[in-house]
Amino acid sequence: MKRYLLLLWSLLSVVSISAQTLNEAQIRQRVNQAAAAMKTMHCDFVQTKHLKMLNDNMVAQGKMYYQQSSKLRWEYTNPYTYTFVLNSDKVLLKNQQRNDVIDVKQNKMFREIVRVMMSSVVGNCLSDDKTFKTTIATTNSEWIATLVPQRKDMRQMFQKIVLHFNPQRAVVSCVEMIEKNGDRTLITLKNIRTNETINAAIFAVH
Amino acid sequence: MRLSMLRYLLCINLLLSVITARAQVTFPSHEGERARYTAYIEMSRGYISGVCILVKEEGLIKGSLFNEFGITALDFNYDPRHQKIHLHSVISMMDKWYIRRVLKKDLVQLMLRLQQGQYCYKNERQHITYQFTPIANEVTQ
Repeated sequence: MKRYLLLLWSLLSVVSISAQTLNEAQIRQRVNQAAAAMKTMHCDFVQTKHLKMLNDNMVAQGKMYYQQSSKLRWEYTNPYTYTFVLNSDKVLLKNQQRNDVIDVKQNKMFREIVRVMMSSVVGNCLSDDKTFKTTIATTNSEWIATLVPQRKDMRQMFQKIVLHFNPQRAVVSCVEMIEKNGDRTLITLKNIRTNETINAAIFAVH
Repeated sequence: MRLSMLRYLLCINLLLSVITARAQVTFPSHEGERARYTAYIEMSRGYISGVCILVKEEGLIKGSLFNEFGITALDFNYDPRHQKIHLHSVISMMDKWYIRRVLKKDLVQLMLRLQQGQYCYKNERQHITYQFTPIANEVTQ
């Protein structure tokens, strides 16, 4: 019994040490590996926007679908409806008034937005040194990556973007965007399901 | 038994009335009251859509307009007594003196219309249409 407890203690120590000693490079590698292995992902999300000036929160809910390597559907369902669909070079924006299809190749600003959205969802923006200066911290329950924008256009909007990762799966569980005016938007991903077949119609852009 | 049932139903009815009244705030006229709208602003070169929140505080209407993803386009104050708008912050891509000038004038007109329960304002000269729709159902966490 004593031996068994000692063995268990040693095992726990090893697990604990290995978890603690994951450095930034190793975490980046784990995240990139998980992103590469993630062929599809879909989940629910809750978005909480905190308005500093009004001291008020606005909560919205929706669904997100991702398919490697360039398909994304970001759909708000409550309390407003709004859909953003990226399919290769085309983006569909759908609100209550209209549907618009934009060619990402011809719109630099949109190309940037889409690139940041995609890389934030799967987490591989940790390796995007040109766009962000990244620092990674670890706690017992999550990895926290703080991304400080390096490009002027991004700096005009965001102070920083904070990504929270689930260390077991090395996938993003929460995205926090802190704006220049002090407003914060927290997007929490829930009921994450990976590598399940997603109907092609979900990513249709017409 | 019948009396307690009646009281119970009356209580539910009152509660529903309060909830409905809260959902139907179309313009914040009392201190601390707030109104939420989906916002759609159409210009000749494109459009902005998102959410606008108005709160009445210390006699002023404080407002914030942000897109669906949560990125703030502008923060402002409206003084109903003097019918004046003060822009606190405007997103960098819109932060030009001539845009600020148009926004200030248009937001005054929009606030006056919202106060009267009208949700649309058209700036015919600049070809800008502001269409606001009250958000009835709120999501709480």
